[in-house]
Amino acid sequence: MLADPQGRSILWRELRASHDTVRRLFSLDHKVIGLQYAITSACFLLIGFGLMMLMRWQLAYPMQPIPFIGRWFGPTTAPGGVMLPEFYNQLGAMHGTIMIFLGVVPLSVGGFGNYLVPLQIGAGDMAFPRLNMLSYWIYLVAGLVMLSSFAVPGGAPNSGWTSYPPLADIASMGQTFWLAGMILLITSSLLGSINIIVTILQLRAPGLTFMRLPFFVWTQLVTAFLLLLAFPPLESASLMQLMDRIGGTSFFLPSGLFVGNRPLAATGGGNPLLWQHLFWFLAHPEVYVLILPAMGIVAEILANSIRKPLWGYRLMVYSAIFIGFMSFLVWSHHMFLTGMGTGMSAFFQTTTMIISIPSVVILTALLLSLYGGSIRFTTASLFALAFLPMFGIGGLTGLPLGLAASDIHLHDTYYVIGHFHYIVAPGTIFALFAGVYYWFPKLTGRFLDERLGTIHFWGSLVCMNLIFMPMFIEGLAGMNRRMYDGGLFYPHNQGLQKWNVLQGWSAWTLGLVQIVFLLNLVVSVRRGRMASDNPWDATTLEWATATPPPHGNFAVAPIVYRGAYEYSVPGAARDFIPQNEPGNGGLPAGRGAQPQIS
Amino acid sequence: MSAIPYTFERRPDTGVNNVKLGVWLFLASEVMFFGGLFSAYFMLRAGATSWPHGPDVLSLPLGSINTVVLLTASAVFTVAVRAAQAGRQERIRRLLAFSMLLCLAFLGIKSLEYAREIAAGLVPRTSTFFALYYTLTAVHALHVIAGIILSLWLWTTSPPAWRAAPARVVNRLEAAAMYWYFVDAIWLIIVLLMYVA
Repeated sequence: MLADPQGRSILWRELRASHDTVRRLFSLDHKVIGLQYAITSACFLLIGFGLMMLMRWQLAYPMQPIPFIGRWFGPTTAPGGVMLPEFYNQLGAMHGTIMIFLGVVPLSVGGFGNYLVPLQIGAGDMAFPRLNMLSYWIYLVAGLVMLSSFAVPGGAPNSGWTSYPPLADIASMGQTFWLAGMILLITSSLLGSINIIVTILQLRAPGLTFMRLPFFVWTQLVTAFLLLLAFPPLESASLMQLMDRIGGTSFFLPSGLFVGNRPLAATGGGNPLLWQHLFWFLAHPEVYVLILPAMGIVAEILANSIRKPLWGYRLMVYSAIFIGFMSFLVWSHHMFLTGMGTGMSAFFQTTTMIISIPSVVILTALLLSLYGGSIRFTTASLFALAFLPMFGIGGLTGLPLGLAASDIHLHDTYYVIGHFHYIVAPGTIFALFAGVYYWFPKLTGRFLDERLGTIHFWGSLVCMNLIFMPMFIEGLAGMNRRMYDGGLFYPHNQGLQKWNVLQGWSAWTLGLVQIVFLLNLVVSVRRGRMASDNPWDATTLEWATATPPPHGNFAVAPIVYRGAYEYSVPGAARDFIPQNEPGNGGLPAGRGAQPQIS
Repeated sequence: MSAIPYTFERRPDTGVNNVKLGVWLFLASEVMFFGGLFSAYFMLRAGATSWPHGPDVLSLPLGSINTVVLLTASAVFTVAVRAAQAGRQERIRRLLAFSMLLCLAFLGIKSLEYAREIAAGLVPRTSTFFALYYTLTAVHALHVIAGIILSLWLWTTSPPAWRAAPARVVNRLEAAAMYWYFVDAIWLIIVLLMYVA
């Protein structure tokens, strides 16, 4: 027999039952899968950061041998420890790819989303547990395919994380690995996003209406829709680039192309701009995939630390939905310099200005929430608070890039790098750090050490700003990105070298500071201060179950009676009322919340 | 609490069950996927200096026969869904087998077409038209193969699943039928763009 009465594979179940390791490794529990995602993506983040620390050496001290580890590199990458330009390009392309596609998105959606969404909506698991497991394993394979490209002839992909043709079409074999990895990765995120949407819509606990959902769940829902609808065009684009490279087609190769002073043997007739359109159709929603879950995490932690309801919760929800919708209409603001015409530019510059409004609304709502609160300064709340100005800097410096006229000067300079790193690094990654400090007690039953956490926070904050703030200066002065020698070749960049040195030392110090964080994780898992089921006096459902949550999450299915942020309700017995607490929370009769069970 | 609710029974306030909602979402992403390929078609054709007339280079008769075969396969699948809805479990497997056979015939005719075109020296690298033709039809054929695997899975699991809960089988068949109609629709667009226009 192949199947049990429900039509599920028996062979599979027997394999799982026979072996403990197999069962743990191929777990169907969303919490285990979430942790697998989190640990894997954290490793990728470290790898991506490591590549950047290497690049920073080359930028700070061009053509000087890399100290200590330089002799480990071969003649094809860094002979005698001196980095070759080709290798620098590989590092650059892979840093972007790893950080975005294998690090931040899987951590915020696969890790945090998978672990927290079912808990916060009071569900026993994700809607499709086996699909969930499958999406993790496809993601892992995709990551390994990407990494293995370092070992093939010609090395890793070296056409930038955007893989623009015609260059990417004729690049070395690593690019084929990039495309294969990308197709797998998109398949994985597709399965994951279907799962998250169905889980949120279908498995909400009784009484948990949409306007009672924690803001984090809302951001995950919008993010999942972006992953679902924006990623497939890049999948088809990757398929076409793969055809160009393997099948000899010319989807992205125009006629009459010369490479190395010789005409390229290709049929031609293709269009390189087609790739840019399809790529940015994915990659601009991708920006919001990076930032929305971070906003969700920050909102959860801030509401808890200020002991007040979020200011303008509904406004924030509508803004998140509006961001999701508008993010499909702004992609060509990455392409102002391609000569697509002023009409197109005018349209996309308008939509870009419009999409900045809801982001500012969310940021303002979070900022106004702070007013009059008695803030608990934990490491989690420090990171969450720092997110606000850091994301603010990142967002506001984006406005000149969204205007076609000023973009002509700033395009492809370090200004752009500074802008999006402020959003993703001290923005999203700070939010993810905050989330780790906040939910670690739920996962393990122990707190992370606050003293090490404070060192981690201040160290990261100072280093990140020393790295990224000078990029605005460099960019405005005209220093281009992807310059292997830090731009020294050009006279107008000569005076900027001192900033590269500062950025280099800040990046390596940032690496040291992260060791404190890793140490904190390892030590606190075993020796940290014990945490109760609800150590932060929080209201949302993940704190209403045991610590760590058992298989199936809740001993009794929870019923929700109120909104997600009932902190400091006047007249209530305590300064928080959990969502699943029936009755009126100590309020005079008639003022309490009623369950809405449809 | 461990069992996942609403796998095949409707959730009252959303009006769908998990499987159907999942398939709807999957099809939405498929629309975007094929949207990317079709937008490549329009952008490349708009910029092309010359574009072959479909019937001159492809076999419209074979394409038409294949269209009939594929649509009949879906029609037979629909009859299987109707049989399940009417509670006539004994007919499901026979109809599924017939539908799979027709899909195999579709793939056979498609291979025949490929063989003829390759013999005539018309390969993906010949022109942008053939690059699009091979990419679109091959991706579509992959979808047909995936559909056959899906039907095969339904064929294997439906008798035991029917004994436990007939509604689950009906729901699975209905969801699979949604996928088949999507594969049909994509094929019709491909025929229109490549064989006719």
